[in-house]
Amino acid sequence: MFDFLLWEGYNGGMITQEKLTILTESAKYDVSCSSSGSRRKNEGGTGNGYAAGCCHSFTPDGRCISLLKILLSNDCIYDCKYCPSRVSKDVPRATATPEEICELTMDFYKRNYIEGLFLSSAVHKNPNYTMERLLLVVKKLRLEYGFHGYIHLKGIPRADESLTREAAKYADRMSYNIELPSEQSLKLLAPQKSKESLLLPMKQLTLERAAFVEEKRKGLIKKGYFLPAGQTTQMIVGASPEADGRILRLTQSLYRKMQLKRVYYSSYIPVVQDSLLPTAAAAQLREHRLYQADWLLRFYGFGVEELVGEGENLDMEVDPKCAWALKNMHLFPVEINRAPLEALLRVPGIGARNAHKILAARAYTKLKFEDLIKMKIALKRAKHFITCDGKFYGAKNELAVRGLLTAAEVGENATQLSLFDDFVRFSDRKNALVALDGQL
Amino acid sequence: MTYFFDGSISGFLTAFLAAYHDEAALVTSRRQQLILGEAPVYIKTDETRAARAKARLLCFDDGCMKDLNLLLRCGDDNSEQIAFSYFKKLAKSGKPVHNMLSDDAVFAAVEKIRRVGLELHRFHGFIRFMETASGALYAPFAPDHDICDLLLPHFRARLPRYPFVLHDITRKKAAVYDGKNAFVAPLEQAEIVLSGNENAWQALFSRYYAAVNIPSRERLKQMRGYLPVRYRRFMTETHGEKK
Ligand code: SF4
Repeated sequence: MFDFLLWEGYNGGMITQEKLTILTESAKYDVSCSSSGSRRKNEGGTGNGYAAGCCHSFTPDGRCISLLKILLSNDCIYDCKYCPSRVSKDVPRATATPEEICELTMDFYKRNYIEGLFLSSAVHKNPNYTMERLLLVVKKLRLEYGFHGYIHLKGIPRADESLTREAAKYADRMSYNIELPSEQSLKLLAPQKSKESLLLPMKQLTLERAAFVEEKRKGLIKKGYFLPAGQTTQMIVGASPEADGRILRLTQSLYRKMQLKRVYYSSYIPVVQDSLLPTAAAAQLREHRLYQADWLLRFYGFGVEELVGEGENLDMEVDPKCAWALKNMHLFPVEINRAPLEALLRVPGIGARNAHKILAARAYTKLKFEDLIKMKIALKRAKHFITCDGKFYGAKNELAVRGLLTAAEVGENATQLSLFDDFVRFSDRKNALVALDGQL
Repeated sequence: MTYFFDGSISGFLTAFLAAYHDEAALVTSRRQQLILGEAPVYIKTDETRAARAKARLLCFDDGCMKDLNLLLRCGDDNSEQIAFSYFKKLAKSGKPVHNMLSDDAVFAAVEKIRRVGLELHRFHGFIRFMETASGALYAPFAPDHDICDLLLPHFRARLPRYPFVLHDITRKKAAVYDGKNAFVAPLEQAEIVLSGNENAWQALFSRYYAAVNIPSRERLKQMRGYLPVRYRRFMTETHGEKK
C-alpha cells in the first residue's frame, strides 16, 4: 500500500516550477495530443472520458493542449541520436515522484486546464524499472485518487509483457513510438531500440484488446477496461532518408494490421547536434502533406498505392487528393446530384463534411452551382471536377487545371492544416459526422 | 410589423403564431432591433397557444424544439428572425426541413445552431475554474451565446465532488452546482476568496503552457482560429489577454 514511499526522492506535494519545466520541455516533441475515444464513466471520483476529445487550450505554435504531457523522468540510459534526453547529453535531469504527478494531474484537471494525463518517460535505470514506475503512477491515480479522466501512457520498449498488460487495464490509450520508419534508420539513430522491441508490444496489445472486447461482448467480463481508446504511434519525418511512400505504406499496415487509432508525424527539428542527423529542420509542408494523405487513407477510402509510389514523395505543389485526381482525369467530372458518397469524397476540395451536406441537400432539390455557393462549399478546386445539374464550370484542360490548383494552394498556404479545420462539427443533429472529428 | 417577445421559447411560439401570416414580420426580443418611430406588437406569452403550436410543430419534425432551444440562445442580432423563417418553412412543408441546405432560411438556421453548438463544445475545454477557500470552484466567462446552463451536465458528471459556479459575466447569471443540485440564478458580481494554493497552481499551469510551446513554429493565425482572442480574457495561461 505504501510502497510508493520507497521510491527515491519522495516528498509529496506540489512539483516545483523547475522540475515541471524540465519534464515537460522534453515531452513536448511527442505530437500526439488527442483525448478522444474513451467513454470511461465517473464512478464517484473525479473525471470521465469525452469520446469526441476536447481541446483545452492552444499555444502560439497553433497546437492544442488537451493532456498534461509530461515525463516521469528525463534521466535516460539510452542514446537515441535525435533526443534531447539521451544519456550522452549534458542537460539538467529530473525525476518526478508518483505523488507529484498525481497531484499535478488532479489539480490541473479540476481547474479544467486539461482533459487528462499523457505520461511518458525516458528509460530510467532499465526498462522494467521505468515501466513499473509508470504503472505505479497510473494505478495510484485510478485507485487512490479516484481519477477517471483520460490517461495516455507511453509504453517502454523491452519492458516485461506482464507490466504492459497490467498498464493497459488502467490507461485509456498506449503508444509505442516507431519514430524512424525503417530498421536501418533505427539501428543508426536509436541503437538500443529495434523494430521488434517496438512492434511486439503493439501486437501483444492489439491481440489482448481484441480478446477483451470479445469477452466483454459475450458477457464473460462485466467490468473494467482495456485501452478503450486503443493505440497510436509517431514517426519523425526528415531525420532519416525514407520517402513518403515508404512511410505511408508503414502507416497503412499499422492501421490495417495493428488497428492503430492514429499515426502521428512530427517533422524533424534539430534540437541536438549529431553528425548523423540533418542540420536543417524538415519542411512543415511535408508533415502537412503526410497528414492529408493519412486522412485519405482513414476516412476517404483511398489505398496508399493510389497516392504515392513506394520510393516517391508526395507532391508538394498540390494536396494528395488533387494530385491523385490530376492523374485520373478520366474519372471526372462527377455529377454532384448523382455521384455516390465515395465519389464525392474523391473530389478535390470537397471534404467529408461538405460531401454529407451535398447528400442531405440533394434529397430535396436538384443542386445547382449557385446552391453550392449558398451552402458555403468551397469550389475553387472542386469546380474543375464536378458538374452541377449537367453544367461544368471548371477549366478545359488538365494543364490549365493544374496551374489553377497550384495557384489556389499558394493562396491557402497561410492557413495550412485545412483538413484539421474540418473538426468543427457539422451541427446537423442527425448526422454521423462526429466520427470525422479532427481528434479521432 | 415588428413582433416583440420576451425571449422565451413560449414567447417565441406565441409570436410565431401572431406573425405567421405577416409577410413583412420581424420577430425579436432585442430592444436595439426595434425600428424608431414604428410601434411594435408586444407579444404577451400565452402558454396554452404556445403548447398547441409546439405540439403541431413536433408532428412535422420531432427534433425541432432542440433546434429552437439552441437558436434562441444564439447571441447574434438576427438569430430570432432566422428562427422565425426556419419555423415558417417547417410549418409550410409539414415535414423536416433541416437538411434542405440549399434553402436560405434553413441554411442560416443550421449555421446559427452550429455556432452555438461549437461554442458549447469549446467551453467544455476553455472554462477555467479557480479554487476558492471553501473548496468550491468558480469560473467566470463571457460566451457569445446563452449557454451557461448547457454546460452544467458536463461538469457535473466529471466533477461530482466539487461544488462549482459557471458565471456568465455578460448576461449576469450563473449556473450553479452546490454538490447536490444544479440550478441557474441571476448573479451580478461574485465575491471570491481564493484558496491558499490557487495562485501557485495558476503559475504552474502558465509555466506549463510556456514550456510546451515550440517558438520556432509560431502560427498565431492558426492559434487565433482555434482560440479566438475574445475567449482568452478569463484563461489563466494567456494572462487574461484581451482583444
Ligand atoms: S529512449 Fe531514446 S528517445 Fe526515449 S528518452 Fe531515451 S534517448 Fe530519448
